This record gives sequence, C-alpha cells and structure tokens, in this order.
Amino acid sequence: MIHDDLEVRISLAARPPKVRPLLSGPEEAYAFWRMRRRMLRTVLGQMLREGRLRLTMVFFLSLLLWLGLFWLFHDAFVFLDTAIPTPQLYDRTVQTVFGLFFGTLMVMLVFSSAILLYSSLFRGHDVPLLLTMPARAERVFLTKFQEAIVMSSWAFLLLGSPMLLSYGVVHRAPWYFYAVLAPLLVAFTYVPAGIGAVACLGIVHRVPGGRWWVLVMAGLAVLVGAVVLARSLLAGAEDNLLTVGWFQEMLNRLEITEHRLLPSWWLSTGVLQAARGQWRDAVMFLALMISNALFFRQLAIWTAARLYRAAYSRLHGRRVAKRRTRAAWIDRATLAATRLFPVQVRLLIVKDLRLFRRDPVQWSQFLIFASLLALYFLNIRRFSYDIYYVGWVNAVSFLNVSVVGLLLSTFTTRFVFPMISLEGRRFWFLGLLPVHRDTILWSKFLFAVGCSIIPSSLLILLSDAMLRVQPVVAASHQLTCLVLCFGLSGLAVGLGAKMPSLREESPSRIAAGFGGTLVLVLSTLYIVVVVLLTAVPCHFYFGAQGAARYFDNPGRFHLFLERWLLIGTLGSLVLGSLTTAAPMYLGFRAFRRIEF
Amino acid sequence: MIHFEHVTRTYGPKVAVSDLTLRIPAGELFAFLGPNGAGKTTAIKMLVGLLHPTSGTVRVGGCDTATRAREAARLIGFVPDEAFLYDKLSGREFLQFVAEMRGLSPAEMEDRIEREAATFELNGFLDELTETYSHGMRQRLVFASALLHDPPVLVLDEPTVGLDPKSVRLLKDLLRARAAAGMAVFMSTHTLAIAEEIADRIGIIDRGRLLFLGTLDELRRARATAGTSLEHLFLELTANGNGDAAGQGTRPALVPRSE
Repeated sequence: MIHDDLEVRISLAARPPKVRPLLSGPEEAYAFWRMRRRMLRTVLGQMLREGRLRLTMVFFLSLLLWLGLFWLFHDAFVFLDTAIPTPQLYDRTVQTVFGLFFGTLMVMLVFSSAILLYSSLFRGHDVPLLLTMPARAERVFLTKFQEAIVMSSWAFLLLGSPMLLSYGVVHRAPWYFYAVLAPLLVAFTYVPAGIGAVACLGIVHRVPGGRWWVLVMAGLAVLVGAVVLARSLLAGAEDNLLTVGWFQEMLNRLEITEHRLLPSWWLSTGVLQAARGQWRDAVMFLALMISNALFFRQLAIWTAARLYRAAYSRLHGRRVAKRRTRAAWIDRATLAATRLFPVQVRLLIVKDLRLFRRDPVQWSQFLIFASLLALYFLNIRRFSYDIYYVGWVNAVSFLNVSVVGLLLSTFTTRFVFPMISLEGRRFWFLGLLPVHRDTILWSKFLFAVGCSIIPSSLLILLSDAMLRVQPVVAASHQLTCLVLCFGLSGLAVGLGAKMPSLREESPSRIAAGFGGTLVLVLSTLYIVVVVLLTAVPCHFYFGAQGAARYFDNPGRFHLFLERWLLIGTLGSLVLGSLTTAAPMYLGFRAFRRIEF
Repeated sequence: MIHFEHVTRTYGPKVAVSDLTLRIPAGELFAFLGPNGAGKTTAIKMLVGLLHPTSGTVRVGGCDTATRAREAARLIGFVPDEAFLYDKLSGREFLQFVAEMRGLSPAEMEDRIEREAATFELNGFLDELTETYSHGMRQRLVFASALLHDPPVLVLDEPTVGLDPKSVRLLKDLLRARAAAGMAVFMSTHTLAIAEEIADRIGIIDRGRLLFLGTLDELRRARATAGTSLEHLFLELTANGNGDAAGQGTRPALVPRSE
C-alpha cells in the first residue's frame, strides 16, 4: 500500500525539466516586496500578541525621550535667542549648531550603515538562498540597503526631529517648514547610507581579510579628528564664557561644518531658509538633497551590481586562521579567586567565562559603553563642577552611580538573563553530568556577580576620584555598587531560570522577549530605589551639616541626619537581599523541575 | 549539463579543489563522495555560484556560474546541507516566494505547490510558520522548493541527513525518476549505500583531488576487487592519505582521460 502510494506520488512529480525565462526588474521587486510584507505582517502580529509589554515600554520610553529632547532644545533656542544680541550672529550660531549636529550624525550614519550592510549582505543567513536563486545581485543589495536605511535612521529621526520641531515652534516657522522636514531628513539619510554601502562593498571586495582593520583605522581617524576639534573648542573657553566674543571665536573654530559641499550644510540651510520664510531657497535645497540622495543610491546599486557576488565569494573563500586556545591567565586567576567554592561551581564559572570571552558580540557593545562612560568620568573636571557647582558634586556622583547601575542592568538583561535559556540546547551534556541543578544556577549567579562587580566598582571609583568626593561618600558608593551587583544578578539569573526560552538560540531575542523586558523594568526600578535610599540621606547629611548651627539643638539635628543615613543604608541592604534572594528562590524551584 | 573545466579553488595556501574536470550530462545521477574536508562542499558552492573558482570555469547549461550567475541559477534547484528558511513565513508563503522568483505564473504556482506538498507530505503543516518545524519538516520543505520549477539541474549537499527512512526511500525513488525524466542530479553524500544503490556514476574526491570517476563496476575493475562493496573501495581509495601535502597526494587518480 505504501509502495503504491509512493509510486503514484513519484510518477506525478517526475516531469521533464523546464527552462523558464528570467524575471524582469519590476517582477523581481514585487516578489521581494510581497515576501517582506508577509514577514512584516507576521512580526507585527506576533509583537501585538506576545510582546505588548515590550512594545508599550519602547513606545513610552521613546515618547519620554522625545519630549525631553524637545523641551531641552526648546529652552536652548529660547536661551540662544536672548543670549545672542545680534540677529546675524544668532543665525550663524544656529546654522553652525545644526551643521555640527547633522555633520556628526552623517559620520555616524556612514559607519552604522556600512556595518549593518556588512552583516546583512555578507553574514545574513538568507543570503546563500537569495544568491542561488535567479535574483539580480543589485536586487538583493537593494533589499538589504532599504533595511539598513530604516535600521540606522530611526535613531537619527528620534534625535533630529525634536530639535528641528522645537526650532520651528520657537521661531513660529511657516507651514512649509514642517512640510519639507521629513523629505529633507529622509533624503539626507540616503547620502551617508550610500557612502557607507559603497565603502562596505569596496572594502570587502578589495581587502576581505583586512576589513576590520580598515574599519578600525577609519574609526580612529574620525576619533582623532573629533578629539582635536573638541580640544580646540575647550582651549581658553572659560575666560569670556557666553560673551559675543566667545560665540564669535567658537563659530570661527567650527567653520569646517559650513563647507558648501557638505550634505549636512545643505540640510541645515534648507531647514533654516524654510523657517525664515524663504521657500524658494528651501525648495532648492530640498531638490539638491533629493538629487544627491538618488545619485548615492544609484551609485551604491551600480557598485553592488558589479562587486557584490565577487565580494561575497572573496570573503567566504578567504583563508580563515585557525584559533588555537588554551587556559588563559584569566581562567587560572578565576580558578584561584574562587578557591573557596566547590570544584564543580568553579569549573562551570570558567566554562561560562570562556564562552563569553570568545564571542565578541557578547561583550563588545558593553565594552564600548563602559569605555565611553570611563571617558566621561576622566573628563569630568573639564565640566568644572568643583569651580562653579561645588554643592552639586554629591548629586553628580550619585547620578554617576545610577548610570553605572543602568549600564550594569543592560549587561545582566542582555547577557546574564539568556544564559539559562541557552543551556537548553546543551543540556544533553550538563544534565548527564553528576552535578546538582542548584550548582549550575549558583555558578551562573556567581559568574554574573563576579563579571559585574569588577568593572562597575572600578568605574565608580574613577568617578569618585575625578570628582574628589569625601572618603565616606566613596565608601557608600562602593556599598551601593555591591548591593546593585547582587540584586541585578539575582534578578537576571533567577528570572532567567523561572522564564526560560529553551527553543530560542539568539541571546538578543531571548533578552527582547517578555522575560527580558520584565527583568529590564524591574532592574531599572531597583536601581532607582536603591540609589534614592542611599543618595538622598547622604546628600542631606553632608550638604546640611553646615546649617546645623542655625538650629536650636544642633546635636539633635546631627542625630536625625545620622539616623536617616543609617536607615537609608540598612533599607538598601534589606532591599538588595530581598531582590537577590526572592528571584533566586523562584529560579531554583523552577530549574529543579524544568524539562529540557 | 554540468561542466567543471580544470577548476581549482584555494583558501590562501590551502588547495580545497585541485584541477577538477568533470562533465555530467542531462539524465545522469551523479554521486560525489569524499571524506570530511575533501572539497565536496567547495565544489558545490562553485557549482551554484556562491564561490568563484580561483582558476578554471564551472558551467551549467553552458552558462558560467561566476560570470552569468542568474542564467545559471535559473537552471538549478539547490538543497544545501544547512538550509535557510524564513522563520516568519509559513511553508506555503516560502514556496510562493521561491515560485515567484523562479518565474512561475500564479496558476502554475498553486499547481506545483499542491504537487510538491503531496509528494513530500507537507499538507499537515504547510500553513504554519517555519519557525515551528522540526529538522525533517524543514528538509522536506527545502526539497519541495528545489523541485518546484522542474529544474534541469538538481544539486544536493548531504540530502539524507535528518530524514526518516520513509522520506529517504521517497527521495531515492524521486531522484531516480527525475533523472530518468532528463534531470542532471549532482549529489554529495556520506551515505555510501545510497550512492551504491541509485547513482549512475560516482566521483571520489580527497584533499581536493578527484581520485576516481566512473561507475561502481569500473571502480571494482580498476581496483581488481570484484564484488567488493563501495564502502570497502572508498575506504581503500581514501586511506593512507594523512600527511600528504594538501591536494598533492602521490597516488595516481583513476579518472578517465575523456574527463
């Protein structure tokens, strides 16, 4: 019976081969468009059904950020309007601010679109499928290019639109100012994205083996340029701060942003002319921007048609150096540092450390953010808090602790929370080892605490040293840091075991799910409450000591401040213990029962 | 239909495929055998246009796969060893996309999807998202997508991995039937029994060099071992290779001069 059924199916299927004509450009575009529309519909449907919390959070946080930026820019334009007496100088200042802003964004967009296109054109899982179908190379490229435009420009729109809209509101711009904004911004995005695309294709085609070196060198060149510009701006800036002479000097130093061949200058001029009521000029700059956008788009397509397939072959046909690994000093140091723990826990920690270390995607973003934070802390004195705002030092130091805590929460949510889920696929190995399941969870927790405590403690120490805070405050910060590390690790590991996504392979998708979003929300609340519990009494204790002599009973006032400080510190310790223990308890219970 | 002409592909100093010359006519089922790292997948990637040869040319239906990739691709149905499916498309939507890209008309598309769904028993899950599929279900969908347009050339890289015995049986019969109808089938496999059972000719490659090309009987005659299994011959032919310079084995290759 089965045999007969097979024979029928095979006889139906076995048709003589047929050669079909190739698709025309529009037919091909339509097939891709339909495929992407279907996927978008599915993703949106799934997001609305399963990711409402995350979607709501993203929407409200984006709205909050947008409103905050709008308010900030609004006040800044009102301030500039009152601070700069001459209209010509004011116009030039705004033009320079816009030019600097869009110029910086342009450089960032070139890099981000090049990197995004590299990962989608050369590392995308779907690329072998698309390149083995009779699709034009430029069609595959264009699909990825459009995705890169959307991916790299949403942040640009989020940051740029409040600035431009607030300018329009402050200056009561005519309606066509608002009408040209969107096309100008979209057209502008195509220029750096096109440059990034051509650079990406050219670099991979010419130097597939050294592509990251080229990127690092280009990044360093930009960084050096930015540092030189920043140093020239800061040199001698404090003598005549915010005077007409100071403004004039700053504008002269930023003259480079007004170069007539820069698309950022076309954009800022188009926007300003529209705001001033010069609609003819605004339309001219809009036309200039659109024609350049089309030119760079076409240049990128032309480059892709010629280089993409060959570049793909060169990249995947290059010799890949074999990575030999052995026990590194960090493994030996970890084993030595964890000597007090059972040997199984120590080995599991070292295993996780090795996996983490050998996957740069896991730590590179965290390292970039931590480095930026360290750079900010190192330059903190340039902001002259000690000269102008001595009373703010404590507040700023606690804000820095909060920022470190938030950075830490992204680490625990993005990397620690998915760890249990990712073990799902390796559990055939871990589950057969003579190891109690609790040991696995303990090892994750200790790994998370160890990995978070060292960098965050050092960052906070650096901030305190640069701000020259009192030793007692520095000690309080270190205690807060400890409480934060334990609590955030407990939340991520415990809830990671309680709500695992065992089928998912991508850590970023696990972190973006309901569990990851919940951990991020709870972590943020936890940081805010812990910092407030310690920062507010600390701020008043040190800030109000000088005022004690004005009270009838200074001793009693001192006692009140000390008690408040003690209660705050104890409160943060209790909250930290609860936030560590409760999720871990839930995690242990769930992990003992879980079926992989 | 498939023509490798003095094809060499290197990865830096390592020679993955060395001076490979091979012709596979329409209607032939060719099995490409070799140990891990022998150069099978590199040869297949050049055949489907993903990699370009360092020297030599690969042609499909007369089209160079490096310079006329689109023309060559329209003649090929490809089943890779690790197939990609769009997670957020259903099986039917995936097949519709492939059919559209292959130039099938809407009526033809529906007819072919029904036909392949019946052949590979996809109907139970065709409208579910592919992210929920098991390995075997994904593999069957990929077979269906490769055969939708009745290509003159079918390229398969390790096609039986993850298939249940019934599906393997179906695949074997289907490949034979398709070859009989005029399709050139190029299949790499480690399952020697399948090659022994269904292949018209076999090619054995080791460290980039084609060691043997011909029928199983020709191989037996060449090795003077009548009645010996392909497994035994394969192991004998690829043995003692360790330690040779890459692609520079000293054993003379058993490849007919005509190739």
